[in-house]
Amino acid sequence: MAGREAARKVVHQVRPLLSVDKDEARKRVINLYKTWYRQIPYVVMDYDIPMSVEQCRDKLREEFLKNKDVSDIRVIDMLVVKGQMELKETVEIWKQKGHIMRYWKESQDPKPTDFLSKFFNGQN
Amino acid sequence: MIRAPLTKALSLGSSTSPIHKIAAAAFRTTAVTAQIPAKAPEKIEVFVDDIPVHVEPGTTILQAAAVAGVEIPRFCYHERLAVAGNCRMCLVEIEKSPKLAAACAMPVMKGWRIKTNSEKTRQAREGVMEFLLMNHPLDCPICDQGGECDLQDQAMAFGSDRSRFTDINHSGKRAVEDKDIGPLVKTIMTRCIHCTRCIRFASEIAGVDDLGTTGRGNDMQIGTYVEKLFLSEMSGNVIDLCPVGALTNKPFSFAARPWETRKISSIDVLDAVGSNIIVSTRTNEVLRILPRENEEINEEWLADKSRFACDGLKRQRLVAPMVRIKGELTPVEWEGALIEVGQKVRAANGAVAGVAGSLADVESMVALKDLLNRVGSEAVCTEQSFPSEGSGADLRSNYLFNRNIQSLETADVALLIGTNPRYEAPLINTRLRKAYVHNELEVASIGPKIDLSYRHNNLGDDSNLITQICNGTHPFAAKLKEAKNPAIIVGSDLLARPDGAGILANLQNFAKGFKSTSALNVLQRNASQAGALDIGYQAGVEEAIKSKPKVLFLLNADEAKVTRDQLPKDCYIVYVGHHGDEGAQIADAVLPGVAYTEKTATYVNTEGRAQQTLAAVSPPGLARDDWKIFRAISEIVGAPLPYDSLEEIRDRLDDIAPHLIRHGHLEANSFQTVAPQLSAAPSISSGKVSVQQLSLKDYFMTDPISRASPTMAKCIQAAKKEGEKKAASASC
Amino acid sequence: MAKYLGLDKVGKLFQIIQQSGGLRAAYKKLYRFDELKIGSLVGTDKYGNKYFENPYYFYGRNRWVEYAHHQNMDYDGSQIPAEWFGWMHYKTDLPPIRDGARVQHKWMASHSENLSGTKEQYMPYTTTKPKYEAWDPKKK
Repeated sequence: MAGREAARKVVHQVRPLLSVDKDEARKRVINLYKTWYRQIPYVVMDYDIPMSVEQCRDKLREEFLKNKDVSDIRVIDMLVVKGQMELKETVEIWKQKGHIMRYWKESQDPKPTDFLSKFFNGQN
Repeated sequence: MIRAPLTKALSLGSSTSPIHKIAAAAFRTTAVTAQIPAKAPEKIEVFVDDIPVHVEPGTTILQAAAVAGVEIPRFCYHERLAVAGNCRMCLVEIEKSPKLAAACAMPVMKGWRIKTNSEKTRQAREGVMEFLLMNHPLDCPICDQGGECDLQDQAMAFGSDRSRFTDINHSGKRAVEDKDIGPLVKTIMTRCIHCTRCIRFASEIAGVDDLGTTGRGNDMQIGTYVEKLFLSEMSGNVIDLCPVGALTNKPFSFAARPWETRKISSIDVLDAVGSNIIVSTRTNEVLRILPRENEEINEEWLADKSRFACDGLKRQRLVAPMVRIKGELTPVEWEGALIEVGQKVRAANGAVAGVAGSLADVESMVALKDLLNRVGSEAVCTEQSFPSEGSGADLRSNYLFNRNIQSLETADVALLIGTNPRYEAPLINTRLRKAYVHNELEVASIGPKIDLSYRHNNLGDDSNLITQICNGTHPFAAKLKEAKNPAIIVGSDLLARPDGAGILANLQNFAKGFKSTSALNVLQRNASQAGALDIGYQAGVEEAIKSKPKVLFLLNADEAKVTRDQLPKDCYIVYVGHHGDEGAQIADAVLPGVAYTEKTATYVNTEGRAQQTLAAVSPPGLARDDWKIFRAISEIVGAPLPYDSLEEIRDRLDDIAPHLIRHGHLEANSFQTVAPQLSAAPSISSGKVSVQQLSLKDYFMTDPISRASPTMAKCIQAAKKEGEKKAASASC
Repeated sequence: MAKYLGLDKVGKLFQIIQQSGGLRAAYKKLYRFDELKIGSLVGTDKYGNKYFENPYYFYGRNRWVEYAHHQNMDYDGSQIPAEWFGWMHYKTDLPPIRDGARVQHKWMASHSENLSGTKEQYMPYTTTKPKYEAWDPKKK
């Protein structure tokens, strides 16, 4: 009985994306964070954005903390990969100023839900 | 003239095949609905393309084929018109008969085998098409009928695939001069194929013998003989009837192709009949309005005002909220306008009143009433008044057209009191005319001498006549009493008189002794009135004025029944509506609502039938749904109404009166017999019975939409000119 | 020797200042145009712009314009009229004032500068009728 339980557990084990355990995933995240952190002064200079280095660092922290509740290692790995992609695009100046500034402002306003705002907006 | 008892044929010719059932359901009834004899005669069996059909004797081949689900091409035949049999398109072969027969005019005989698709029949059709096209211009690319042209369609389906036409010099085609028959119908007479549908419509349905034919054979022409305008309140229907592009819609000419337009089924609100319409739109503009078939209301006709006033929807519109700043109405944002109105309502401390006009829908009236009730006021009224003494508007049967419109066809004696149905409700008048033509309806009227398009006995315009009829001293009273299906039609304007309650009570007492319980009918003139009374509005503006309001809401109220001098000096008037008319002019704040083509809203017609309009185009500018405006004000006032969406306000309607959301369904009226017992002291003051719309020129402009319409202005010009011409010719 | 010490440049500076009409005027010119040049006045157009030439300078910089005084700092390349445009751009070496073949007519419109960004700039407007004619409370 116990053997079968154990077997199921083994079967249930999913193939890791990059990291095999939580510590490794954490290392990858911190690594990415550090790289971004060091890149920020150059980003501010290269893109000529109207933001200070401190503001950018706050934003970086905020962006990372958005996903602080993610516990699945595979998801963490995927987020790290995406973060690396973003970083690459930023460093290589494949992005433009607007793309960087989008971190501070969403281009779409959320749709109103209460009656009066909908009425003023003219939506049904 | 063969008048085919269609329904007789259809109601009994039951067949098992589903196709037959569909064909039967799609078929139309005629005036003889109620004349089904007690004993049904023997049915005869015929075979249409080898499909056996059982039909009544007297059924034509065309109708028998329709029962079998076979459609025979036709140009001149029309279900609602007399049979002419002159286009020859419906020729079919009958086995063992040497000659082909015109299916529309030939009654079937027992055992006939009709071949609608035989070689001979097809050849005959090709021949007819060839003859028709020989003299028909090839101007389909510039013809307004293109896309909805019977000739075009049938030439494709039944015509020859090649032409024998060799006249390359264009020397031989017939050309006919165009006629000017008014501002509504454009004529290109060269396209005419002489089906005579328009002539038959004018003389049978509209009741004006203006159109006719002159000449014979190739020289035959349709026209008015002398230069004359075809002026009828129903003239637009000849456009729909014309199978080719000879008669087209003048305001709509060269505007759009039918396949480019979006068609939305809706309801007409310019009179109280509630005709079913189709709104054709393109690029968010209402282009034209067509009738939609509804056997119970408008058959397939539409009155001219309903059809042609749609260009008024694009003029004089309120497109932004306005507030009076330094004596001038100035466009502002919604927020500013609503806050201003909200402050005034709050400061009024319950001294608020509301008046609903002729075009208000039920949803917005409910929202207005709920809003006013929430701020502590009960003063909601309609512009049109109605007696409140006795049972007043408490009983639905008091203010409705109790005998429904369709059953008017079976009436045998009718009395019109203080009403001119020809212009107040043209489609009710056509029903009366139908009963007059097919059912020997005897009509009498009390009121000024008017032309109803059929013969009637004008008893005079003295109010005492009503008393005489009611106490039975007048000879016509006996006729009404003896009649099997009597109908008394009372104009709503007559009941708006100070002695309206007395008139109504007298008539109710009189109608008690009739053989039919729903003989007494009130003909409303406004699309909003029945709905307003259903949800508990008080009729007449007196109540609103008496309450000395500090804030007065005018909801589509444009009849100028409320004026500035009747109100306290500091009264703040808020107008909610879609046209800049009388109401907006006296207002301190104007909140733009939407017109009937732009909203999904409920209207109750004069029979008490709730129907809904559907939004065909989006509202112009900053205009918003009327009921949403009141909902928004309620939130700013601090007493939000409990509905946010159309579904929720419909639920509220359901709570108030369930019939309001049963669209198209007619609720049976009870209490006609109880009403007289509750009625007030019956007294009728002497005086004259008057009617507001006497002649055609009074018909066209009765509400803000038609008053803004340039087409309607042209119609009035034309009607006036024609009237002067007539007067001049009469004097010399 | 003087060349090595750059004294000729000092001399040139004095020449320029002299031609410009004094130290203040030279400073003003430098402030307006960010450069000081010496050259011969070729002509003046009817708007008051002065055209200079000095072959001492490199080709491409040897013809220049000093915009009219009243323009102050609001000068713009498009203020050069069409006839001088050709000379300024080396399409011709014949300045318009010496070009006898140039026709002059009364009806010829005077030159207008590029008005983009100003109040007088061209604004395209719609010529189609609005779908809805709004109610005007003032019109009775």
